[in-house]
Amino acid sequence: MEKSCTLLVHFDKGTPALANEIKEALEGNDVEAKIEALKKAIMLLLNGDTIPQLFITIIRYVLPSEDHTVQKLLLLYLEIIDKTDSKGKVLPEMILICQNLRNNLQSPNEYIRGVTLRFLCRLNESEIIEPLIPSILANLEHRHPFVRRNAVSAIMYVYKLPQGEQLLVDAPEIIDRFLASEQDPSSKRNAFLMLFNCAQDRAVSYLFTHIDRIIDWGEQLQMVVLELIRKVCRVNKGEKGKYIKIIISLLNAQSSAVVYECANTLVSLSSAPTAIRAAANTYCQLLLSQSDNNVKLIVLDRINELKTSHREILVELVMDVLRALSSPNLDIRRKTLDIVLDLITPGNIDEVVMMLKKEVVKTQSGELEKNGEYRQMLVQAIYSCAVKFPEVASTVVHPLMDFLGDTNVASAMDVAIFVREIIETNPRLRVSIITRLLDTFYQIRTSRVCTYALWIMGEYCLSLSEVESGIATIKQCLGELPFYTASEESEAQDVSKNSKVVNSATVSSRRPVILADGTYATQSAALETAMSAPVLVQGSLASVGNLRSLILSGDFFLESVVACTLTKLVLRLEEVQPSKVEVNKATTQSLLIMVSMLQLGQSSVLPHPIDNDSQDRIVLCIRLLCNKGEEVKRIWLQSCRESFVKMLEDKKHREIEESRAMAQISNAQPDDLIDFYHLKSRKGMSQLELEDEVQDDLKRATGEFVKDGDDKNKLNRILQLTGFSDPVYAEAYVTVNHYDIVLDVTVINRTKETLQNLCLELATMGDLKLVERPQNYTLAPESTKQIKANIKVSSTETGVIFGNIVYETSSNVLERTVIVLNDIHIDIMDYISPSSCADVQFRTMWAEFEWENKVAVSTVIKDEKEFLNHIVKATNMKCLTPPSAMEGECGVLAANLYAKSVFGEDALVNVSVEKQADGKLSGYIRIRSKTQGIALSLGDKITLKQKGGP
Amino acid sequence: MVVLAASVINKSGKVLVSRQFMDMTRTRIEGLLAAFPKLVGTGKQHTYVETDMVRYVYQPIEALYLLLVTTKQSNILEDLETLRLLSKLVPEYAFSLDEDGICRTAFELIFAFDEVISLGHKENVTVAQVKQYCEMESHEEKLHKLVMQSKINETKDVMKRKASEIDKSKIDRSRGEKGGFGPIQSMGSGRIESAFSDMSISSSGSGFGSGSGLGVTTDFDSFSTKAKGRPPSSATAPPKGLGMQLGKSQRTNQFLESLKAEGEVILEDVQPKVGQSKSVAPPLTDPVTLNVEEKLNVTLKRDGGVSNFDVQGTLSLQILNQEDGHIQVQIETGGNPGILFKTHPNMNKELFSNENILGLKDPNRPFPTGQAGDAAGVGLLKWRMQSQDESLVPLQINCWPSVSGNETYVNIEYDASPMFDLRNVVISVPLPALREAPNVKDIHGEWRYDARNSILEWSILLIDNSNRSGSMEFVVPPADSSVFFPISVRFSATSTFSDLKVVNILPLKGGAPPKFAQRTQLLTENYQVV
Repeated sequence: MEKSCTLLVHFDKGTPALANEIKEALEGNDVEAKIEALKKAIMLLLNGDTIPQLFITIIRYVLPSEDHTVQKLLLLYLEIIDKTDSKGKVLPEMILICQNLRNNLQSPNEYIRGVTLRFLCRLNESEIIEPLIPSILANLEHRHPFVRRNAVSAIMYVYKLPQGEQLLVDAPEIIDRFLASEQDPSSKRNAFLMLFNCAQDRAVSYLFTHIDRIIDWGEQLQMVVLELIRKVCRVNKGEKGKYIKIIISLLNAQSSAVVYECANTLVSLSSAPTAIRAAANTYCQLLLSQSDNNVKLIVLDRINELKTSHREILVELVMDVLRALSSPNLDIRRKTLDIVLDLITPGNIDEVVMMLKKEVVKTQSGELEKNGEYRQMLVQAIYSCAVKFPEVASTVVHPLMDFLGDTNVASAMDVAIFVREIIETNPRLRVSIITRLLDTFYQIRTSRVCTYALWIMGEYCLSLSEVESGIATIKQCLGELPFYTASEESEAQDVSKNSKVVNSATVSSRRPVILADGTYATQSAALETAMSAPVLVQGSLASVGNLRSLILSGDFFLESVVACTLTKLVLRLEEVQPSKVEVNKATTQSLLIMVSMLQLGQSSVLPHPIDNDSQDRIVLCIRLLCNKGEEVKRIWLQSCRESFVKMLEDKKHREIEESRAMAQISNAQPDDLIDFYHLKSRKGMSQLELEDEVQDDLKRATGEFVKDGDDKNKLNRILQLTGFSDPVYAEAYVTVNHYDIVLDVTVINRTKETLQNLCLELATMGDLKLVERPQNYTLAPESTKQIKANIKVSSTETGVIFGNIVYETSSNVLERTVIVLNDIHIDIMDYISPSSCADVQFRTMWAEFEWENKVAVSTVIKDEKEFLNHIVKATNMKCLTPPSAMEGECGVLAANLYAKSVFGEDALVNVSVEKQADGKLSGYIRIRSKTQGIALSLGDKITLKQKGGP
Repeated sequence: MVVLAASVINKSGKVLVSRQFMDMTRTRIEGLLAAFPKLVGTGKQHTYVETDMVRYVYQPIEALYLLLVTTKQSNILEDLETLRLLSKLVPEYAFSLDEDGICRTAFELIFAFDEVISLGHKENVTVAQVKQYCEMESHEEKLHKLVMQSKINETKDVMKRKASEIDKSKIDRSRGEKGGFGPIQSMGSGRIESAFSDMSISSSGSGFGSGSGLGVTTDFDSFSTKAKGRPPSSATAPPKGLGMQLGKSQRTNQFLESLKAEGEVILEDVQPKVGQSKSVAPPLTDPVTLNVEEKLNVTLKRDGGVSNFDVQGTLSLQILNQEDGHIQVQIETGGNPGILFKTHPNMNKELFSNENILGLKDPNRPFPTGQAGDAAGVGLLKWRMQSQDESLVPLQINCWPSVSGNETYVNIEYDASPMFDLRNVVISVPLPALREAPNVKDIHGEWRYDARNSILEWSILLIDNSNRSGSMEFVVPPADSSVFFPISVRFSATSTFSDLKVVNILPLKGGAPPKFAQRTQLLTENYQVV
């Protein structure tokens, strides 16, 4: 068992302290020098440099010092020094410090007494403590509370030692008496803690004798009381009732920490609706009263936990939870909305939506920078409300449509998507939405929102009047034709110059664009620049339409969308308009617009000529309008919409699938305990069992929690380090823990000689660090020895450990023999685990991360999907691209993989492969990460493994 | 509710200082701390990070992080409170708020962390308290050191004197004078040498050594009396100073003088010894002795009035020979109504209340007999008197300190009640620490200045009708009037408040009543003007 470590101090290796210098300074009379030297000695000791001869120097020259700092440092030194030999017996020289400790315990200086008592708490050797016990007990009566409270904790820790009960037989009784007369809150707390840990029944009886005054006790004592209650109730379920009252009374305590703890305790003890309600209420109050964001977030976590087990109670409190939205912090708001959205029922939906609407309105007035993002969150929340309860859509869709013209692209986009979905799913709202959309269309400033709006217009303008006003709106927004005149050309030169500057600026900052499936796409620059700048709006044009200004800024994609929409509208007009003349008029007008757009695209007014895709599309529209056929009509007026409906259905289907999968997870396991409903309170039981997890929590945090059961795995990892015919045979198994690697090396002496000073010297490459210095061993003939080595890891990276075994034989002492060991490779795969993240997040990270490693695909695998699966398996990552997106045989595949390391680093991989004509796969695998280590190691791994094959 | 560690690290995860409050391995804590900077996101408005296993609560301090590692169940409100306190402490103790400054004061920070979190639990302390705890300035220790130092000095002086004395006597001996004293002297010198070796240890600095030095001095005193072969009971005979005064020379006198100047109480051949109010009974000669003793506990207020007046009296009987044991004692009380008598449980109560005769319940049992010199005897009767009546107080003290210019004049006067004649009156007035003895004028009686304890002792051998009141005046450098209090007074008197007298002794077995002696005295136990 590795020994525990109580303090860490940064040690600068640049200025090594010499043992001699330290010794000299320690022996001197200069207190300052002594302090410095002692500090250095401690640092050396921490660094694994145990200078054994220093101990005696310290005993001789430092122990008698009266300086307080020296004494305190001395205690630190004693705290970290090895007090036992290899067999766990206390070293004989340690008895020397006993006298000093006793003097300290009787020192006239109360602080020296206190710190010494505190030091004793960290001491595990009962042999050293035993002679000190009378002095410790005497300190219980010291005048100063500082001494008393440390004395109590010292007694507690002594009593907790393996032989503690023999050392201090009557400790609980003494403490019990002490507690009765003590006034200092901190000493009281420690005393109560001692009883709680060592003599629970006494603690309980003390609690009940003072039950009326608990509310007046100090905050810390109250905390321990709550802890006690939790513990007692876990063991003794029947007595729960007695304690609930105490908890309820403590809910009114002064300190919010106690109140919070009370609520936690209540939740863990009881599942009665009243108790849960009280706890939930408390959480809500804390949520409002505490200004600290951390507290709010954690309280929200707690509420979230409650939500999973007691949803029906939290539903009642949904409005209280919603009040947390008043905090300006986005994380808090997001969490709040997440919780609330889960708690929506038909009963409270109206209220919630009302509140959300109010919040949305508020974001318009305030000029906070995060408003845009917040609004987006709210819009999304309302959107999901509307999906769950379609009846509310009618009340929210109109106010939300005001935000189509929002400058925040994301929230405007969300609104647009929302409207698009609602108009399809709620046919009753269609007419009003279309009317509204046509009214507000001119406000839309961003090209992407425009494209959505145009699509909606094209698809859902059904009646004659709608179609006509749709065409009119577009025309109005486009303004006068043509877009430019020859006379303006010279004038436009300036404009174009102007725009060139803008565009080049934006283009240079542009990053490669990734489509949802992970492929790269060359998008027209205009699409992005449009968002950032309606800069081109100038002069007479400004008053005209948004569409015109966008198009004049060179947004050809938008042009093509306009063309399509016009085509659709005209086609539809043909169906609903009895007058042929009107139809033809509209057709010609539309044709004129399209031609003007094409003209614009080819003119020199704009910095870029029109791209081929957009041009093709506009030309196609022109052709269609000139030559309308039934077949074309069907495709344009019905198939588009059908595919949209199909997409919505697919989405719904996926959601259902997901929720079903979630539901499956929460089902009971086959080997779960069966609770008999009529025999005991089912929920209460499981809550009490939860308490065990609380206990485990500490263990997990300190790393004591050992997962067993991968013995099989362990044996897989055995590595042979030397040859069978070497004089020393060594093999190791490597255990990779979270932050460290443990090498368990078995060394066997194969000779008939005793090997002396055998030493396992290790060195590392990569981000690995040896924790301890190697020790020397003596190995008898044909005996074995287990040597453990700890290696610290601080980042995800492939590392190599190499080393050698050095020894002397008894026959030839002077000559050292060296055996070089096989290298141990530490695999990156041990550190990364599959994880998932949202598409958007993936893309932002992809854009941000600096390290990219590009690996060309070279494999014998012929099938793209097989290849992907192979990579996923080899890299231990998760494929983010949904399987449905990879269906079908098209010879091309693009997928995103994601994993997270134990150190919280992200690893992103994009696989893009294409089947060549000869049946081989070609393409690239790109790895991106924040640090070089991951990108390189993962790249190496993939290069190694991608060959694949059967 | 458990804090695992409090640490200061830099942005890249280098640990500058970390103090763990729970058992955890080094790799574990280093791993946790190294992972932290990677977990901290940017642009967050909250300052905690949770992982599967722990929660970090942190606060950026310039280019560093101060963080607490806690369990996930830990109470966030409490932890934030702790963090806030620590963040106030770090700038207090850190040399500067960068890596270098933190490293330089790493240990001071660890000490401060220890005060805030004790074994994972938060302590309710303020910044000021932590500073106080870390400074470790203890008033008691200062006092203790002062006392030790004075004791060491004192003992050193004794040693020096003794050494020179021995040297001298060695020279004397080498001249061949008075060989008879040889053994004693050699004994003495051996003692001193060992004491010296002790001293050399104690002066090297440990507090204990000085304690042992003290032991040597007391040892020495007892040795000196023993060497003289005097029974310790015969203390009335003045002890002849300290030991080793056989070759009493001028040097010894000088030494005694200097000791006296340092405030040591030296028993010289002065009679009666000043400050020894409790005159011990002369050896018993009579077969039956009856002791009437009253002890006074009086606290007077400095501006008049009695805050406590309590008289406790005992009547004890001492019988030398067994055959005189069968007796009864007839007494007579002064009839003071304020006095309540209580008899020993073995006494016949009725007999006492009716006839004022003290006898055992069982007339066949004799009174226990005691050896001569056994001062206690057998208690027969106890009484007690309490009063607030100022007129009963035997001695009133009036102390008037008045500051005038650069000096303080203190006038003290006493006023004795005519009830008693007081003997060996000593009035001790505490003085501020002075370099030299105060200037005493107009004194009735004698005075003495104890420099070591800063006490002025005014002694009057006898106060009777001739001098029922008296006064003194002394001058000291300016001082607050409260330093002159409490004034304590010692005296004795031969008459008592109860005026109890033994009238007769009645033998139960017939025969002539044995001769008896009666002693009556009033003593002060605690007589103070506060």
